Amino acid sequence: MNEPKKSGLPDDNFQDPLEDYEPPEYADPVERALGEERVASMRITPYASVGPDTPIGEAIRQMADMHHACLLVSENDRLVGIFTDREIVDQVALEYDDVVERPIRDVMTTDPVYVHGEDTLAAAMCVMAVSGFRHVPVLSEDGRIDGIVSPQRVSEYLHGKTGVL
Amino acid sequence: MGLKENLASEPVRRLNLRPAVIVPPDATVRDGVIAMRNAHLGCVVIAGDDHKPIGMFTEGILRQLLAHDPAALDAPIGDRAAHKFPWVSLDDPIQTVLDAMQANNTRFICVVDADGRVCALTGQKGLMEYVAEHFPRQVMVQRVGSPYARQREGA
Repeated sequence: MNEPKKSGLPDDNFQDPLEDYEPPEYADPVERALGEERVASMRITPYASVGPDTPIGEAIRQMADMHHACLLVSENDRLVGIFTDREIVDQVALEYDDVVERPIRDVMTTDPVYVHGEDTLAAAMCVMAVSGFRHVPVLSEDGRIDGIVSPQRVSEYLHGKTGVL
Repeated sequence: MGLKENLASEPVRRLNLRPAVIVPPDATVRDGVIAMRNAHLGCVVIAGDDHKPIGMFTEGILRQLLAHDPAALDAPIGDRAAHKFPWVSLDDPIQTVLDAMQANNTRFICVVDADGRVCALTGQKGLMEYVAEHFPRQVMVQRVGSPYARQREGA
């Protein structure tokens, strides 16, 4: 019977699965920037957040006043959902009079996809491409909201890397 | 070639274009929202019978309407749409999509054919998919056992 390991140190037979890993090399300057720069290096603030009991009508007015397409929904400093223009189209607009006073928790998207500030920009953009979410919250390692990656910020970043108008 | 050169040299038709939903200017905003909802799109293009675009109604405009004038749902969409909106041609370089998004602070770009008729939509989603093609390993990470690997259309 094997004795349980007494420490987290690898034993003599440990083989690092990443020992042969070769990081990608980028010849293209934009690919290099996206592949090496971190999410935290792009503009991820300001962002707007509300509590889950905020009435839908009030949330929409806040978004309109700030010209934001997305609200993060947080509770006790933790992200619990996201409410965007997409929810307005899909769940609110045609039912507006019936839902305007209901809490945003009823229509928000729960468990939204997110990235960390230490993820690469390429990873964040691939998250957007694969998931289809245009607004991706940025969370700290302990789960607090640090900001948001928005379409405008992505195009602003890419445009800055690829040239000027 | 790399991403920077490809953006400058590859045409818009190379993007994963979305079919545009066209509504006439005398349709109501409500009709437009129903069309957006059914097509999982964030905008509709306003055009006449000739399919030449005369306006664009986006979810951003809808948000502002609901906040300040929800009764406008029954107004003609042509009166509420943006009449200054970006468009590109199928053979323009992809970089023009990025330029148009940046210059107009929009996520949606109308694509027109050689005769100026609406033929597709593109924008942030198409551009992200194009960028992601240049990072296949990152995409693979998303697709295999990742909480990111959820699909959401049009958001």
